[in-house]
Amino acid sequence: MKNLYIFIAVLFIPWSFSVAKYDEFEDGDDIMEYDDNDFAEFEDVSEDAVTESPQRIITTEDDEEEATVELEGQDENQEDFDDADAQEGDTESEPYDDEEFEGYEEKPDASPSKNKDPITIVNVPAHLQNSWESYYMEILMVTGLLAYIMNYIIGKNKNNRLAHAWFNTHRELLESNFALVGDDGTNKEATSTGKLNQENEHIYNLWCSGRVCCEGMLIQLKFLKRQDLLNVLARMMRPASDQVQIKVTMNDEDMDTYVFAVGTRKALVRLQKEMQDLSEFCSDKPKSGAKYGLPDSLAILSEMGEVTEGMMDAKMIHFLTHYADKIESVQFSDQFSGPKLMQEEGQLTKLPETKKTLLFTFNVPGSGNTSPKDMESLLPLMSMVIYSIDKAKKFRLNREGKQKADKNRARVEENFLKLTHVQRQEAAQSRREEKKRAEKERIMNEEDPEKQRRLEEAALRREQKKLEKKQMKMKQIKVKAM
Amino acid sequence: PLPPDGAVPRYKPPATETNPALEDPTPDYMNLLGMVFSMCGLMLKLKWCAWIAVYCSFISFANSRSSEDTKQMMSSFMLSISAVVMSYLQNPQPMSPPW
Repeated sequence: MKNLYIFIAVLFIPWSFSVAKYDEFEDGDDIMEYDDNDFAEFEDVSEDAVTESPQRIITTEDDEEEATVELEGQDENQEDFDDADAQEGDTESEPYDDEEFEGYEEKPDASPSKNKDPITIVNVPAHLQNSWESYYMEILMVTGLLAYIMNYIIGKNKNNRLAHAWFNTHRELLESNFALVGDDGTNKEATSTGKLNQENEHIYNLWCSGRVCCEGMLIQLKFLKRQDLLNVLARMMRPASDQVQIKVTMNDEDMDTYVFAVGTRKALVRLQKEMQDLSEFCSDKPKSGAKYGLPDSLAILSEMGEVTEGMMDAKMIHFLTHYADKIESVQFSDQFSGPKLMQEEGQLTKLPETKKTLLFTFNVPGSGNTSPKDMESLLPLMSMVIYSIDKAKKFRLNREGKQKADKNRARVEENFLKLTHVQRQEAAQSRREEKKRAEKERIMNEEDPEKQRRLEEAALRREQKKLEKKQMKMKQIKVKAM
Repeated sequence: PLPPDGAVPRYKPPATETNPALEDPTPDYMNLLGMVFSMCGLMLKLKWCAWIAVYCSFISFANSRSSEDTKQMMSSFMLSISAVVMSYLQNPQPMSPPW
């Protein structure tokens, strides 16, 4: 997308240059021809006053009429010219030689060309007409703008209605489960506003907190961009649906260490590529959930089989099978750190921070043509979320599982350290050099010569000690090798 | 209410969206495009450039995030409107389609 925009912009600039130049020439030429033909017309009128003047008068009077009338008038003129010239040529050439014929041949040739010129004049007056019809492009543009504004207002209102419908249906459940529903971030105290936080014309946030075992829950209603006409048109090609994204941050002590995901196959493949934790810990491809009775559309990604066994209890399976069409992805992870960050090579010195989170992404049914009533069907999904929170708290890996999990995490850390080993070495070296430089500067800056001498001696002694240590190490290694 | 609060309910408004700019660059691109087109329209006296600039600034406004300040939006909008007006003052003829 980004490249496409840049490409289009770059293309437009030279194209507009060429068009601009063309426009200038065109205008110039037209004006020139018009001037010439003005005089030419007068010349012709003086020669054949009788035949031409009535038609000329007609054309000047009917200036406001459409160009076609003038064209017809000019066409008749041309025919008259041709006839008149032919007649003149015939009558006059008879008593003369062939030489005279040549002259008269040129004359019929010249006059048709003069007759052609008046036709080109016709185009220019069409633009100079002061009728509204010639401004059709502008009217089109303004109509387009009005349509865009109308769509903006309609789309904004619809998104608003959908969001409030969702909130009204879910309010009770949320308020019974969370102490704090809705928070702006502006108040200093923890009072629930009980309102959605509108971030955008199509994104609404809700922060709930105050429940055992979870730090908080952020719900994002990501609607389609109904307020943008371009988006609406694009959606006609490619149907998409509104999404509800829920992110529950768990307390550290309330969740064991595992990584697990369930969702549509497409979504899981994409998540596995994008998400840092899924790509590192879940190495297999998404497996079908048919073993547990899940429908074919859903697949499972997990760190180890035991986690899947533990997660897929009867109630969870019930939830997943009944609402499979609305579930896009469900991800439980204790190493969640967001999508993979594209970092430059020199910057990666620390593992990104991880947080224990449960992520849910639901699709609103209706794929774009949702009505506020559809929001009610999402209510059971919210109960699933709450059930999952409790379940995540209760679920504990047994000893084997825990060992495997710890091994996995250690492995990931090692890999990371290896990757950054070189960088960390360089960083350490640069730090050491800086320390030395700082010391030397201090020594130089000391005005008292005695202090200088003492500091220098101290530095020398430190360096000698370091050398001795290194030598000891080398000796030890040699001994071990032997 | 079901949940017995073990601890003090932590409010902590979310530091939402560490990278909102990365996720949807549309309004920024549209802003830039709008300004480029309006400068083209002003300098090269092309009417259609100016009209496209108006459209771009409208699209940018529709897609904007609430965190973005309105000053930039208004400035690009004003620039595109001025490009259209100047093109018509200099050349009152109606716009001819480029085809």
